[in-house]
Amino acid sequence: MSDSTNKASFRPTSSELPAYFVDTQQRALTSYPELSLPVIERLDYSEWPLFDTRLASGEGSGGELSDATSERLVQQLAPELADQGVLVMDLFDAMVTYPDLVAAHLFSVIPPEDKVTAYHTAYLTGGVFVYVPAFVELKEAITVSLKQASREGQAFNQHVLIVAEAGSRFDYVESVETSSIDASSATIVVEVVAKAGAYVNYCSLDRLGAATTAYVKRATVVERDATVNWSLGMMSNGQVILDVDAYLNGSGASSQVTIAAVSSGSQVQVADTRIVNRGHYSKGAILQYGVILDEAVLTFNGTGLIEQQAKYADAQQESRLLMLSDQARGDANPILLIEEFEVTAGHAASVAQPDEEQLYYLMSRGIPRAEAEYLVTRGFLGPVLQQIRAPKTRALFEQAIDTKLASFVR
Amino acid sequence: MSKLEIIDLHVSINEKEILKGVNLVVQSGEIHAVMGPNGTGKSTLTAAIMGHPLYEVTQGKVLLDGEDVLSMEVDERARAGLFLAVQYPSEISGVTNASFIRAAINARRPDDDKLDVRSFIKRLDEKMALLDMPEAMATRYINEGFSGGEKKRNEILQCLMIEPKFALFDEIDSGLDIDALKVVSKGINAMRGEAFGALIITHYQRILDYIEPDFVHIMIDGRIVKSGDHRLAKALEVQGYKGMAGVADTVDLVTDGEE
Repeated sequence: MSDSTNKASFRPTSSELPAYFVDTQQRALTSYPELSLPVIERLDYSEWPLFDTRLASGEGSGGELSDATSERLVQQLAPELADQGVLVMDLFDAMVTYPDLVAAHLFSVIPPEDKVTAYHTAYLTGGVFVYVPAFVELKEAITVSLKQASREGQAFNQHVLIVAEAGSRFDYVESVETSSIDASSATIVVEVVAKAGAYVNYCSLDRLGAATTAYVKRATVVERDATVNWSLGMMSNGQVILDVDAYLNGSGASSQVTIAAVSSGSQVQVADTRIVNRGHYSKGAILQYGVILDEAVLTFNGTGLIEQQAKYADAQQESRLLMLSDQARGDANPILLIEEFEVTAGHAASVAQPDEEQLYYLMSRGIPRAEAEYLVTRGFLGPVLQQIRAPKTRALFEQAIDTKLASFVR
Repeated sequence: MSKLEIIDLHVSINEKEILKGVNLVVQSGEIHAVMGPNGTGKSTLTAAIMGHPLYEVTQGKVLLDGEDVLSMEVDERARAGLFLAVQYPSEISGVTNASFIRAAINARRPDDDKLDVRSFIKRLDEKMALLDMPEAMATRYINEGFSGGEKKRNEILQCLMIEPKFALFDEIDSGLDIDALKVVSKGINAMRGEAFGALIITHYQRILDYIEPDFVHIMIDGRIVKSGDHRLAKALEVQGYKGMAGVADTVDLVTDGEE
């Protein structure tokens, strides 16, 4: 796959979009003000400025599509991939060019039924469609970059739909970042459909700006013997909710959600991860590691739900928080809900300060305290970084972590 | 030439006095051994000099070339030239041994003169070869999953790389088999020279068969009760600490407390 990128330029008009989408969007526009917010444990975000309605074209109105507030860099596909039927393209283009393919999957994982997803749909500003046909294996990762360049009060609502057909295998790397400094809201909604036997390695690095208030929702439906593994970097600087759901519908379906988070300054970040075991022998794991600096807040909610009939299911979770300042606040909140016998489940959680004995040891070799704390912190996030297989992506994560820790080292 | 002076040092842990007035001067080029039974305060002496937060100095001074060591932070003491090899070093996940040692070396160098990776690796390879350490130990996390012997070698490796003015070896010989003891001794002997002084804390004379000390001190109940040359260690081997007891005015063979 080549490194060259294409800026999405062509944009169909509303009249060209399929009727089901236009209808859904209109319904969402009318219903979202009355709908309730999704419940995020340990967080009241009812006052968060999440619902900007101004689109780039001027006064906002639902149904108007405009993407001037953002830039989407979608990797140009190598010809051999295009020949295999792999698609990586603008979501609106896809609705027109591949109407059946998109219609069969769009909103199938995340229907616009709560206030956030309905608003998101009503004021959608852009999106990406990724399609990997059955039994296609990609050696190199598909990369997508969502870049927010909003002016004050401008909406940035991006929708990513990823369809992994049966037996396909690939890595997907997503970068979400802000290039402006104006206050605005953002919603990122990602749906991953993993059909029987598919294997998807999903990696995202969120670096939204300090003035961006964001709700990021990523969810997957995992069918029989399919796997969706997530490595998610929460490296934004503003108020962010990361809401992750994995529905293990098929027998033998599995998903591991790995999150590395750093909260700094006075930001509030919450990761709310839920894995629902429905299939026999389905296997879910949540691994959340977070570091909190300054007066920041970081909350990890982890829910493992094993539904009735999900015999021999496994639900594991681990949340670890490291607090680097007295004013930092951290909260690890593990929940296991088990409705079936003959299953295995477990959880571990901790909130701690850096180990003084470790710091002493490093300092006794001449390393200043701040750098010793930095090393211990980097070490603390090590287990998460190890989950990222591609060295290039891992380096990107390390760089993002260093940027977040920069205030602390110097 | 450098000088480490310990003057009338009193140290407490949890308000219990462990060191009751220690006096000792180590010059560069000299190797001193401090011997004594369990619980007499030998390890306390090294930990207090390095500045471990659990140890409270209630009286006395430690001077390095006239500079007040006790007013320095732990990392400043290290950069001033002190090194402590401990019995039970911390394990730190996620940080490789090599990056740790490089950070320690660079902490001593100005921003515009950091050690480049190539010269660092060359030196690291040399020192690891001297200590019969497999290369893989450089990329393993600090002390994580190291055996007792590997941890001791790793302490010596750091010392060889950092090149302190004065090194304190706290029971570096404990738990080592004879081959490992020889390797560790070889490492320490390699540092011997005009610019290096050391204080070796040990229960046993055994390590002193491989590293001949210039001075031997016997510590009992928080004080140095007798000093001599390497022959003192030999005499101790024959007579035991009880035999030495007669030499002190205030002998009290305390065996509880510190491990």
